[in-house]
Amino acid sequence: MGIIKQVSRKPSFGDHMSNESFITLLMIGVLFVLFSIAAIFVPNFYQPQNMLNLITNNWFIVIIGIGVTFLLITGNFDLSVGGVIALTGVLAVYFSQTANASQNELANGLGLPYGVAVVLALLGAMSIGALNAFFVVRLKVPSIIVTLGTMMFARGIAQVITQGAQRNTSLPSEFGLVGNLALPGTSIKLSVLIMLILLVIAFIFERRTAAGRRTYLIGANADAARLSGVKVGRHLTVLFIISALLAGITGILLASEFKAGVSSRALGYEFDALVVTLLGGVSIMGGFGSVLGMLVGALILSVVTSAATGLLLSPDWQFTLKAIAVFIAIMAQGFALSRRKS
Amino acid sequence: MEVTENVLEIRNLVKDFPGVRAVNNVSFDIKRNTVHCLVGENGAGKSTLIKILTGAYNRTSGTTLLNGEAYNPHNPREAREKGISTLFQELNVVDQLTVEENLTLGMEDTTFGFLRKTDKINKMISVMNSIEPSVRPWQRVSTLSVAQKQIVEIAKAAATESNIIIMDEPTAAISEREIERLFTIIQRLREQNVTVIYISHRLDEIFEIGDYVTVMRDGKHIDTKPLSEVKDRAELIKMMIGKTVFEQYTPKEETAQEVVLQVRNLSNHKLKDISFDVRAGEIVGFYGLVGAGKTEIARAIYGADRYEGEILFNGKKLQPAPDKAIAAGIALVPEERRSQGLFTILTIRSNVPVMNLEKISRHGFINSAAERNITAEYIDKLRIVTDSAEKEASKLSGGNQQKVVLAKCLFADADLLMLDEPTRGVDVGAKSEIYSIIRQLSYEGKSIMIFSSELPEIMNLCDTIYLLFDGSLKATIPNGDDVDSEQIIHIVTGGE
Repeated sequence: MGIIKQVSRKPSFGDHMSNESFITLLMIGVLFVLFSIAAIFVPNFYQPQNMLNLITNNWFIVIIGIGVTFLLITGNFDLSVGGVIALTGVLAVYFSQTANASQNELANGLGLPYGVAVVLALLGAMSIGALNAFFVVRLKVPSIIVTLGTMMFARGIAQVITQGAQRNTSLPSEFGLVGNLALPGTSIKLSVLIMLILLVIAFIFERRTAAGRRTYLIGANADAARLSGVKVGRHLTVLFIISALLAGITGILLASEFKAGVSSRALGYEFDALVVTLLGGVSIMGGFGSVLGMLVGALILSVVTSAATGLLLSPDWQFTLKAIAVFIAIMAQGFALSRRKS
Repeated sequence: MEVTENVLEIRNLVKDFPGVRAVNNVSFDIKRNTVHCLVGENGAGKSTLIKILTGAYNRTSGTTLLNGEAYNPHNPREAREKGISTLFQELNVVDQLTVEENLTLGMEDTTFGFLRKTDKINKMISVMNSIEPSVRPWQRVSTLSVAQKQIVEIAKAAATESNIIIMDEPTAAISEREIERLFTIIQRLREQNVTVIYISHRLDEIFEIGDYVTVMRDGKHIDTKPLSEVKDRAELIKMMIGKTVFEQYTPKEETAQEVVLQVRNLSNHKLKDISFDVRAGEIVGFYGLVGAGKTEIARAIYGADRYEGEILFNGKKLQPAPDKAIAAGIALVPEERRSQGLFTILTIRSNVPVMNLEKISRHGFINSAAERNITAEYIDKLRIVTDSAEKEASKLSGGNQQKVVLAKCLFADADLLMLDEPTRGVDVGAKSEIYSIIRQLSYEGKSIMIFSSELPEIMNLCDTIYLLFDGSLKATIPNGDDVDSEQIIHIVTGGE
């Protein structure tokens, strides 16, 4: 025999990590490149305060993005989160406004203590999640249709309660507290801290728990998951309710920050949440993605919009810029993954 | 065109994948108008070779001559145009369309965008009817059986003047009676100057239908010879795996074990009043044609389908849900491996523990070390061929995928294991490994139910054989030397 031909190749970079980690690293690379470009061309971009803002400005998208990510991993959409934010804020305001305060109907609420108002508003949010789950799990309606319906339903109720506008008077003084609380000695808001805590919990859930694993199993193959003993219906129900709860928490924080329940609050946030999850490499086919990727996606979106503002482009350009970022990022992912597979 | 003796000549064909040479310097000839069988274990390189011939893969090196001319297709369409059609295991038909629409799919003739009925269509329909008159052009394909769908594909291939039709495990999902009809069709194709390349794990078929056989092993060509020169199955198996395998049913020592599963008057959309018992340590087999109700029995016990009647497991009534069945100690290896058993986009490590995540978790948190250990243990125990536990399940061969599904179910620590077509599409070596695992489990006192459309499998393994026909239990036979396989075939084909 002559020389035996070596057919095995040297393991190249990235061979030993999961596709999820690979995509997340790739998107961190994209983030770094976009950040560098912005730092060179945009005046005052490379400032500590501005960089901090990049992380903290989009806290609400990141919080609802957690629920949207896990549902997308199971192969389900949640488009109701924006509506739920509005509804929860409005409910919290309405419940805690003083009863019979004035002639103005919009100034009269139920006069409940603030804590009770918050709990009831969150229950309202969760009931929207339960409604989503009922249609998807019991009646087998595709989630994209169901949540499109509940998106309008939740916002519709908010509009009825606010008569199409907002409620912002006769609120107890503690109403504006949580949304405006900053960490001592910094400008970092409590909301950002809550975002960080929720991210850590979500990360642990995804990587370490059996329930997190089941989330992937359902998305990878719902039939096989059911035959492997996963309680698919129950799992989806819990995830829908958690997603609505996260949107509800966001709604409470935003209502507190602005001391108002606004029916048009968070318009289009459901799409921003979807955009950041897609940017983070979550597959709409299910079974693939990560919360960390979603966070990187949110940062990319943050850099792009913030750079546009810094360049004094008119806000009219923001949607177009977002679109370009989404296309580039998602094409880069598809390309990278197919290269990796071959 | 000069007619060469060999329709296809393969010379020094090589295909490399990262880390593995799947086809290693393969050379052989395929004679015109013959049925040429290709056999070998899974991973022997058969599928890769076929994918090169049909243009799905590009070769690394080597040449192929089709009718004496260089042939190197870059995509499946080019292969089809040059006269090589393939009948894949996963059939290429569109269920929602009619037979006629399927036949003309991709070659519709139009006038200003409107479909036009041409001679070509009529020819295809007449070809199809000459093969199988019972299939009607206006029938929706979803209403056809697997065998009838194959006929639609064969008709399409025959009508497009294919020189060569490659059939990849065409009998894996069809009944014995349909197999006979397929063989008649193959013979007719040969008379019409078509060469058939026939791939199957069922060696009896190869002796029945083949003219030549090529054996591959570990990517290499072992031998090509006329089947008339092959002495028997044992010789073929020896070439395929390099060692002799011979297994026969050995009756267990008679010990009256307690009954673990009692099924009483089980009925549903498919099943009619079925009752039987399964004892601890017993291997029972359910044999019948496709559609006889084998899968339905498994799914009913597992709680995956609705039913009437009573199912008791260890004396308690079973709640009809898969998670309840698993909790009670029952596991199912489903019939459809890829769509019901396996999480193909996940790694082997993520697949193995899914039926018993509690066992590797504490307070809901997965112990990664335990997960890696048990995966390594099962890869070792079931001899799953892979370079890493982190490999995506979709990248494994059929036999290894089935072993992953089996590992999943073994890890569930079930007392009753239901195996639906456990060795479908699995090579001879993996098959005998799966058989010895099944025997071992039964010695350990586990009960096994095997649902199979392969009689040798049932006769080889099972202590008790149940015969099904059209949703009813027709006979119960204790296995032994005096079992009459002709009588069994008689019963499952509807004889009294």
